[in-house]
Amino acid sequence: MRILEAQNAVLTNVEVHKFLSDQAKQYQAEKRRGPSNLETLRDEMLKYFDTSPNPLSQKPLKYDVDAIPVLLKKLRPYKISKGECIMVVNMRPSNTATLNAVLEDMENRFNEEQQEAIINIIIEVLGEFPPPAEEDEDNVMDTTEEGQ
Amino acid sequence: MFILTKIADLVQIPPSQFEQHSRVAIENNINAKYANRVIQKIGLCICMYDLLWASEGLIGHGDGFVNVNVEFRMIVFRPFKGEILFGTISNASPDGLKIRTDFFEEIFVPYKELPENTEYDHNEKAWVWVVSEDQRMHYDMNETVRFQVIDETWNDQLLENGGQEAVERGKSISPYTIKGSMMKEGLGVCIWWDY
Repeated sequence: MRILEAQNAVLTNVEVHKFLSDQAKQYQAEKRRGPSNLETLRDEMLKYFDTSPNPLSQKPLKYDVDAIPVLLKKLRPYKISKGECIMVVNMRPSNTATLNAVLEDMENRFNEEQQEAIINIIIEVLGEFPPPAEEDEDNVMDTTEEGQ
Repeated sequence: MFILTKIADLVQIPPSQFEQHSRVAIENNINAKYANRVIQKIGLCICMYDLLWASEGLIGHGDGFVNVNVEFRMIVFRPFKGEILFGTISNASPDGLKIRTDFFEEIFVPYKELPENTEYDHNEKAWVWVVSEDQRMHYDMNETVRFQVIDETWNDQLLENGGQEAVERGKSISPYTIKGSMMKEGLGVCIWWDY
């Protein structure tokens, strides 16, 4: 065994998720089972992607691999590094606290307006989780009061 | 957290697999050998991504195996330094927190990498971040967290002396361990920050 190139490319979670899901479908169609270590690992990985708050746990999926070049183009004016872009695609930060975790030195590089703009781009291209359903409770209260 | 590694290897297909399409037999052989195994200084192998080249099969002397030289790319789990990942808390001790993902167990966050004013509660056997007098945030078991990778350790389990003792020792040390941090704002238990 020879390692020809230790790092030929980097993959985001969504790309690996697509590869493994497609492989699972293909094997199932061919009624084929891979070696047990592969099957176990694939199940564990798909379970990991499927666990909230991983953005890939949101069904239906809000973005796919085609969103990556779109996001890169929109974030270019902000000079965000490759590693940071990968983390944005993987983590999908939705507020300034989680954005700060992903970006290096956010406070010095971007003012509040720019931070909000970046988050809006993320929401636009990658989507977001639905807000928690608090409004429903209020509505139920209103109807009961009116009913009286 | 995933990379593609280009590898060259020799695949040996036993006669029992001759009825399979060569592509299928080669892929199965590669995955059987590499999936869920750690290659030192490379990472945890997931599965074969694509087959770049395969030679003609040559039958060796003495056995009926068909030997095929292959070059392929493998998906490998190896987060880069500074990368942020999701994980769940699997264990708490006075030294720090142990974190795992569904497919990787050996992630450790030492207590120095937790935010200031975090203390260990011996009664509950859990770490608590004391934000203020009445705001105590608990690092509870099985909570999903965000953590940052700050270092990795490789332990080559090569058996130099052989024997049962060396095998036992090899089993107890993980070949690949990740050191993490939850110091930065936005890291730690996810529900604290997600709104």
